[in-house]
Amino acid sequence: MKIDKKIIEELVGYLKEFNLSEIEYADGTRKVKVSRAINNSSIISAEVNEKKTIVESNGTNVTSPIVGTAYLAPEPGAKKFIEVGQKVKKGQTIVIVEAMKTMNHVPCTENGTVSKIFVKDGEPIEFGQPLISVK
Amino acid sequence: MFKKILVANRGEIAVRIIRACKELNIPTVAVHSNVDTESMHVRLADESICIGSHKPQNSYLNIGSIMSAVDVTGADAIHPGYGFLSENYHFAEIVTKNKIKFIGPSAEIMKKMGDKIEAKRTAKKLGLPVIEGSEGNIKSLEEAKKISSNIGFPVLIKASAGGGGKGMKLVKNEKELDNSLSLAKQEAQKYFLNNEVYIEKYFEKPRHIEVQILSDKKTTIHMGERDCSVQRKHQKLIEESPSPVLKEKTRQDLLNKTVEMVSKLNYEGAGTVEFLYDNGKFFFLEMNTRIQVEHPVSEIRGGIDIVKEQIKIASTGKTSLKQSDITFRGHVIECRINAEDPSKNFQPSPGTISVCHQPSGFRTRVDGAIFQGCKITPYYDSLICKLICQGRDRDEAIQRTQRSLEEFVIEGITTTIDLHKKILGHKKFINSDFDTNWLSKENFY
Repeated sequence: MKIDKKIIEELVGYLKEFNLSEIEYADGTRKVKVSRAINNSSIISAEVNEKKTIVESNGTNVTSPIVGTAYLAPEPGAKKFIEVGQKVKKGQTIVIVEAMKTMNHVPCTENGTVSKIFVKDGEPIEFGQPLISVK
Repeated sequence: MFKKILVANRGEIAVRIIRACKELNIPTVAVHSNVDTESMHVRLADESICIGSHKPQNSYLNIGSIMSAVDVTGADAIHPGYGFLSENYHFAEIVTKNKIKFIGPSAEIMKKMGDKIEAKRTAKKLGLPVIEGSEGNIKSLEEAKKISSNIGFPVLIKASAGGGGKGMKLVKNEKELDNSLSLAKQEAQKYFLNNEVYIEKYFEKPRHIEVQILSDKKTTIHMGERDCSVQRKHQKLIEESPSPVLKEKTRQDLLNKTVEMVSKLNYEGAGTVEFLYDNGKFFFLEMNTRIQVEHPVSEIRGGIDIVKEQIKIASTGKTSLKQSDITFRGHVIECRINAEDPSKNFQPSPGTISVCHQPSGFRTRVDGAIFQGCKITPYYDSLICKLICQGRDRDEAIQRTQRSLEEFVIEGITTTIDLHKKILGHKKFINSDFDTNWLSKENFY
């Protein structure tokens, strides 16, 4: 296989630009992985950094206790469980997560005001994924 | 015989149907959603085609996509399995209109038996005992009061188009009747777009017994009964045959009456007539116009491949079987292995199966779609496989099932295997001293 130096140079450039420790690039039959040793304290990808700031400035996240499909209302076309700006109480249903034909009501874990809703109606979600933020 | 069969389902039943087709030398098409690409049914079929996203409405319930898949692959028959579109007469109609064979009864019979009030009326007319209650839709509170006081409380209000416990209300006394009736009607309208409800006598400790049928327009035979009284949340967990509580005379009466009823229906294919059994008497509940999850129990006890028989009847319009071809042997037990945690009120347990060892040995059968490394997604039913064991008698069947459960290793997700071991070891199960409400009352954890 002939190694394309240009690609490696380009990838190294991205590593530095975004302060990453590793980058992988695949193109049809070719796959190139470039990694570098960097100072431990700086290994935080740009994306993670961004997410953290959202969470911190907006309050506490309520996460999904189960993997499945999220629904924001009890049935199609009905009023949503919560809206941004609405006051919520601990124990109140915020979304339904459908897993294996079972509808699981996810209760709010905090008292406060809904500052952000992270999930869309009908979206597949994972265990531990933030659903809403409460201030 | 068919040139190619499209299997409009997923999971263990799709695998079951593909296996039957392979033995009949019929090429198969698996349809799948985008999260089922690596599934067992996709790997085993001769061809596969992705028909939509993870949501059932977009894939396994999407009639347009399935019909396109038929067109693209040139299949000339569809096997619907159970669940999804299997009891949707509208689907059967569309399939038939497109000159594709729907492996099952006619759309007309599916419609008739799918409506519970209509099915009950039909069953009664054809000689089956039905549960005491209203003849049809309840139109007023006065009517409800009159019927309820005649049969005595408690009573059950059920939706005519219902299923799965939705729109079903238990009424303990006359005071509750007004409220429950309007609630039941509202729910029925909401879930089934049909607010018709009917009233039936409520049984506190019933058993669920059903009869497996194979039929063409001239001949109807039965493959014995199944007792499915071990249930959780109104869903079966363990099925066995023969029923340990039926007296021989009652059993013959049940089987004969069922065959007589189905033979008058002009029914084609496999079907199951479900009964409630209480205090020596049986009452018609409903008819399922499709293959059922627990069909292997009857296959093993009666020695006939029911899925192959379905395909043969659909292809030729005739069954080659006579009642005398069926000889019943021993006792058979099936345990449904679900991906759920019985210690947490059967909470779903999706995930990746990291270790998978399935039992085998003399008279042990496992029907499933699982393998090491397979993902159990949260988008579909929690049933992942079934363990079916046969013994000379019930005692040996229980011992063999226990032995096989002990051999079963599934890691990475929680299953009902552990609960099955507890149930099969329980005095009440061993003595067959239980009813359909037993599991919800007994503390296993």
